[in-house]
Parts: sequence; C-alpha cells; structure tokens
Amino acid sequence: MTESNPAAAVRVAGAPADRARTFAWNPGLVIGLVMLVVVALTAIIAPLVFGAQATGVGSDPGQSASAAHPLGTDTLGRDMLARTLVATQSTVLMALFATALSSVVGIALGIGVWLAPRRLRELGLRLIEFAVSYPTMLVAIIVAAILGQGVVQVVVAVAVANIAGFARLTANLAAKISASEYVTTARLMGVPVHRLALRHVLPNMAEPILILIAGAFSGALVEISGLSFIGLGAQSPAFDWGTLLNDGLSRIAVNPIVIVGPAVALTFTSLAALMVGDGLAAAANPRSNSTRARLVRAEGEPALVATEGDDVVLIADGITVTHGSTGRPLVSDVSFTIRRGEVLGIVGESGSGKSLTASVVARLLGEGLEASARRLELGGTDLIGRVSGRTLASKIGLVYQDPGTALNPALVLGSQLSDVLTIRLGFPRRGALGLLARAFEAVKLSDPEGRLRQHPHQLSGGMKQRAMIASAMSTKPDLLIADEPTTALDVTVQREVLSLLRRMNEQSGTAVLFISHDLGVVRALCDRVLVMKDGRIVERIDDVATLSEDTVEHPYTKQLLAATPVVAVPREARS
Amino acid sequence: MSTTTADSFAAPGPGTPESTRPVKAATLAGAWRTFLVRRVVGLIVNLALLVLVTFLIVQLIPGDPATAIAGESASLDQVELVRTQLGLDQPLPVQLWTYVSGVVQGDFGDSYRYRQPAMDIVMTAVPYTLTITIAAVVLLLVLGIALGMAIGVATRGDRRRWLDLSFSVITGIISSIPTYVLATGFVVVFAVLWRVLPPAYSPAYNIGAAAILPIASLSIGGICSVARIVRRETAVILEQDYMRTARGWRLPTLTLYVKHMLPNLLTTALTLSGIILTALLGSALITEAVFAWPGLGGVIVQAIAVDKDYPVIRAAVFVIGLISLVMTLIIDIILGIIDPRTLGGKRD
Repeated sequence: MTESNPAAAVRVAGAPADRARTFAWNPGLVIGLVMLVVVALTAIIAPLVFGAQATGVGSDPGQSASAAHPLGTDTLGRDMLARTLVATQSTVLMALFATALSSVVGIALGIGVWLAPRRLRELGLRLIEFAVSYPTMLVAIIVAAILGQGVVQVVVAVAVANIAGFARLTANLAAKISASEYVTTARLMGVPVHRLALRHVLPNMAEPILILIAGAFSGALVEISGLSFIGLGAQSPAFDWGTLLNDGLSRIAVNPIVIVGPAVALTFTSLAALMVGDGLAAAANPRSNSTRARLVRAEGEPALVATEGDDVVLIADGITVTHGSTGRPLVSDVSFTIRRGEVLGIVGESGSGKSLTASVVARLLGEGLEASARRLELGGTDLIGRVSGRTLASKIGLVYQDPGTALNPALVLGSQLSDVLTIRLGFPRRGALGLLARAFEAVKLSDPEGRLRQHPHQLSGGMKQRAMIASAMSTKPDLLIADEPTTALDVTVQREVLSLLRRMNEQSGTAVLFISHDLGVVRALCDRVLVMKDGRIVERIDDVATLSEDTVEHPYTKQLLAATPVVAVPREARS
Repeated sequence: MSTTTADSFAAPGPGTPESTRPVKAATLAGAWRTFLVRRVVGLIVNLALLVLVTFLIVQLIPGDPATAIAGESASLDQVELVRTQLGLDQPLPVQLWTYVSGVVQGDFGDSYRYRQPAMDIVMTAVPYTLTITIAAVVLLLVLGIALGMAIGVATRGDRRRWLDLSFSVITGIISSIPTYVLATGFVVVFAVLWRVLPPAYSPAYNIGAAAILPIASLSIGGICSVARIVRRETAVILEQDYMRTARGWRLPTLTLYVKHMLPNLLTTALTLSGIILTALLGSALITEAVFAWPGLGGVIVQAIAVDKDYPVIRAAVFVIGLISLVMTLIIDIILGIIDPRTLGGKRD
C-alpha cells in the first residue's frame, strides 16, 4: 500500500506548461535507493561467495550466536548469516518477477479496458473493482490452491493477486488524462488512438505507476515470503527468507537468534522499497515550508491625522506584511479608517495585498507571514498583541470568497454555524439555533429551520454565501470583512449577494470592509474606495458618486476605470 | 443515529426557489435509497462472482484435477472416487448447477480428511479469525487516527520538525516489518525471553492472554500506516478554507480539531480502512500460523499444503470473501452516515 496521491501527480503532469517538472530529490528517496543497491549487490555477490557455506552441512548444528556464526546455525549446522545472504537472490528475484509480471499484465489490462467500447469498459471496470476488493493474500492463496506449492506457483500467485491493483490505477489514470485538454486537442487533430495511448497517455502515467511499482515490489516481497513462511512457497532444498523464518520459528524457544537474519533482511528490503515509493511521491509533490504567522507593533509616527472621530470603528495605521523567510514585503504601510455604517472597498489586482490587509485586520494572517502595524484598533479594542477569542469572535464577522469550500462539508449548517454563538458568545444551543434561523430568514433563505439541518453540499453557491453572511451577522459584529464574496458566484447571484450586503449594512449599521478585484462591483456598493497595487495604496477615492476618469489621479486607477463597465446595485432589498 | 439523521432529512424539504435541483437538494432519503439498492445489487453480483470463483478453484487445476487432488501415489480407483465425489465426471454446466444448489444451502461437500461437512470445519474457525481481525481493525483505526491527528496538529506549518522526522522514520520502519516477522519477534521477546505471555494458542492458556500477541502484531503495523496517512491528511485539512472559517469564528482548539476536522479525517481514514481491512484479513491468515491460532488461516493452509482438501478450501475461500464483502459494506454505510457526500458518487 503506497500512501501516494496519484491524482495530485496527474495534476502536476497535466500542466506541463505552467509548472516545469522539476524532480525534487529528497533524503528518503536517496537512502531508499542506496538500500536497494545494497540488496541488489548482495543478491548478485552472496551466492558466489557464501554459496558453499550456506548449503554445506556444518559440524556444529543448532548453535547460538558466536564469533564464527554471528547469527547461529540451523539444525544441520549451516551458518544462518550465509544462508540469509544467499537467500537474497532467490527472494528478490521472485519478488521482481512477480512485480514485473503483475505490472505488465495489469497496465496492459488497464489500457485495454480504457480503450474498449463503453459497455465492455464498464464491465471491465466492475470486474477490476471486484478483484481489488479481495485480500491480495487470499487471491494468492486461491491461486496457490489451484497451482499447488512451489517457487513458480508462488510467483504466479502473487503476480495474479497484484494485477488488479495495476489495472485499476492505469484505467483511472487513463480516464483522467484522456479527459485532459492536451489529449482532447490531440484527438481533435486526428491523432490515432494507439498513438494517443503511447505518446500522450502512458508517459504522463509514469510517476504514479512508478510509485505503485515500488509499493507492489515491497508487497510482493512480503507476500511471497509469507507464502513460503506458511509452507506454500519454496520447497526444500530451495530456500528463501520466508522458509528460513519458518525453520527458525520451529526452534524459537531453543535458539531464537536464528530468526534474526531473515527477519532483518525482509524488513530492510521492504523498508527500502517503501522509502523509494514515498520518496518518489514526495518528489512529485514537494511540500512548501513555512513558519507561523506573527503580528507585531511597529514604531513610528502615525500616518493618519484626525482619526479620532467619535464614530470611527476601525483604525488601521501602517499595516506592513512581509514574507517570513525571504523578508519580501507584500504590504507596505497601508493606513485607513472605517466609520460606523460605512462600507469601505479595497480594490486591486490579485497579488496587490488587499486580502492580506484584510487578514491582518481579521487577525487571521496565513502561516509564514509577518505583519506589523503602528496602530490597529477596532471599536476601542487594541488588536495588536493578545486579544481573546471571544472578543474577536464578537467584534468581527467574516465572509469568504468561495462559499463552496468555506463551509465544512461534513457538518450540517446548524451545527457548524452555531458553534461561535454557543461556545464563544455563551448562547444556549436552542437559542443559538433560533437566532440563526432568524438570521437565515433575514437573508431570505427559505425554510430556515430545514436549512439548518442540511449539509453544505445540499445548497447552491448563492444560498451558501447567504448562509455565511447570516452567520457572520449573527454575532452582531462591529466590522464585517467580506473578502471577494462574489467572485466565485455567477453574475445573477452576485447581484443578490451585493444587495444583501448593502441591506445588512443599512439595517444594522455594521461597518463593512469589502475586498474585490472588480472596481465596478466596488463602486456600486462602497462609500469610499482604496485602490491597491503592489502592496501600497495608490489612490483614495472619497466620493464614489462622482467617480470618473477625470476625478482620479493614479494611472492605474484610470486603467481600471476604463476597463470597468458600470454596474448598478439596487439600494433597496429585493422584495 | 443513522435513521434519525436520514429521517430528519426526509422531512418535507424547504421550498427552494432558486436551487437548480429542488427535489434532490432537500432530502438525503433518496440518496440513501439509491445507495442501498446499488450496494445490495453489488453485493448479490459479488456473491455470484464469489461462488463462481470458488467453483473454478477445482476446475482450473492444470492437467486432470482428479489426479492432482488424489495425489501422485493414488491408485486408479482412488482417482475415480475423487472424480465422482467432486462430480468431475459430469458435464461442466451440471457440475456448476450441483455446486450452486449445494452452496445455496451452505453445503460445500464433506471434508476428505475429517469426514464432516466442510462448512462446519470452517465455521468452527471463523470466530477465532474474526476476534483477532476485528479487535485489530478497531485498534488500528482508533489509535492510528488519534496518533496521526496529534502528530499532524503538533507539526502543522512546519512546527517541531524533529517530531515530524522521528515520527516518519519510526512509523516507516515499523510499518515495513511484515506482520509475521513482527509476530515472530513478539514471540521471542514476550514468550521466550520474558515469559510474560503464552507463545501460542493452546486450550491450556487463557484465551484472552493468548490473543494479545496476535492482535498486537496484526495491528501495530497498521496503526503506523494509518497514522502516516492521517498525519498527511491532517496537514491537508488544516489548509482548507472551512478550517480557516472555523478559526475565523475563534473556536477553541478542541472544538476546532475534534468537531470540525475529525469528521473530514474520518472520511479519508474509513475509505482507506476498507483497503487496510482486506489486507489485514490476508495478513491474519499468515499470522495465525505463528501462534497456532485455530482460525481460518490454519484451516486453509492445512487444506492446501497437506490434505488437498478441496471442499474445505472452497468453503474457506467463500467465507473469507464473504467476510470482506460484508465488512466493506459496513464501512461504506458508516461512511455514508458520517459524510453523506459519499453516498452518491463512486469512490476510487
């Protein structure tokens, strides 16, 4: 069993243009390969050097560990170390043959099933599923029952048992890859099917299949030795690690040292194959390194003057975000305030730092980033330093970009959305659910009680986003942070969500920090707008109503305006 | 719990003015019905295939099956006796019909060696195998998930790299030790050197004490494998948007991990546990040999290697296959209760 993720490997392979296939060597892979080389060398050399010692009857049988026989001797006085080393050849060869046989037949079957007409393909996939659901060991035992005992029989048995795994992976990968754009393109250009399979599909399956081969080799080794161990494999005088272990088991009470050789050899080789498999998987999907996020207070003169108005909800002064390990600045000295009942928009292209700015205000900065601010206050609470979860939960409401992923797929809405109310704000469970039901009603979700019992996947995207807004507003926050809340929704649903946000803002007087890349959306909703580019505020638009290319100064804003059609959002709620 | 959940969804669904699939979106009862129908049909098909496979075990023996089963030293009369006993002198469709009608009544013929119905011999062994297998599955799921989750949370965002590294190395080594090697090692350490546990099953020992080593050797490798997978999955889930949402609600650590992360982990863990379970059943067959455990492994190996007792082989293969089919079904039902999304689609 390899703990690989073939799907991820396919994704990488499927996008050769934007991510070059760099092979990341890692220590596990190198160590595993070195171990395999050691095993291979032993398999080649040991029979030549120790062959006589391993099979010749010795003078002192049943010995424990000694200088002459570090791992003892068996009942016929044969040195166990020599026997273990010599058995490497037969064991590894058997495992290799079985793996080769199962991978070749399995891959051929998988491709065949994928190329077959639809009916046959469905049937083939069913049969493969059936075969896979069986314990490999049981299949091997069935085959051994048919063919009898012996080396060849065991190799065939284990190979047959592993075919289904290869066939399934190949068929799945082929299905995924054949649905990909470059194969569709090739097909449209009239490339024949067999060429398609050889040139486009097979090479892109190499990585996941290599990983499976490493796993299958380890599996075959363990299974073949296991069958030998229970007496179905190599028969005397032939011997492999499994039979050596079995011989040792019978004398375990008298001379336990004799099992050490085969036990260590089996574990060593299977570990080597496992490390190679894991190493290959890790090389295909390198993980990024990061450290935890920090927010610290920066020294210096405040950039904001006259911010002490009585209705100011949020004061953010000098927000700066840098990448932890490289020190690259991502947001530089961003300052703004939001008044009660005001909707402040931040607009900018992706990578301009607008979402990072919002995440600093929300105290949800991602891992690996460092942030500082001269001043960050929300409704009189200093947000720099330690702030209780309860305070943050009650003061800040959050709405995210993609309602499809922002809700927990495994929990019903009522259960996940009420947690903040019951745990952080001390509501009784029933009261929290009642409050949520009313909040659902306020965002015009039909049958609120019924919705609370549903899982996220049972709602449409727009409904999920409205549920998120309802939940965010249920804590009666001072500030609602909406980070691209309409980007993942289609246009008609966008309008609903925007007018809902506007209505919530007007009814409750909650200040809103609205992040978007779409100036059209922002100018329709917001009272004031900040334009960000490369981590800096390049334009502050205080009067959205009269906004035109003539009233702005920065060329980037002019570009944005020129590229944006005007969108009107009705100020009144939909009836 | 399952029924209440399903029923509450069956309640008249909220009117859904803008849902594209108003009927489907509202209830899970339909999804459950389709799921159960599909699984029952699948089970029947699989059972039929299983009967066919066990039937073919004898027919596929290379050369003349009757000669092979009777043994090389058998007289011509003995070979003919075997031939008539197994009905090999009949045309193939008749053989299949006789076999199937026997199997439907649980009759796989009499064991050559014990002169008793083969099914009786197999059924005597089943409880022993099920005991250690189920105990091992429960242990490896509970401990594997707990360990993997704890390590995954403790090492999130590259914290405690030493812990991550030592966890990977230790679990990697342990999970690559074949179960029967581990079992042999346990016998040496606990039964031969320390003499605290019985080395093998025997009526003389307390069965509870005798079961400890088989269960431990079956589950420890699996615990490490599951923990490795869960640890990796934990890292993935911690990056998910819904976990950020939960952090945005400022939920306490325990709620965050147990309520919001664990159900999503279980989906992966249980999906995998189906595979692990069938693998475990296979390992159990071999591990039993180490402890002389009177389960199916001993029965089937004895029947193949020593007695050529084909009625017993057929019955044992059928029962083992049945166990893995039923266990897979149970796991899928549990999965459906935890995460109804798995009801609809095919898993791979």
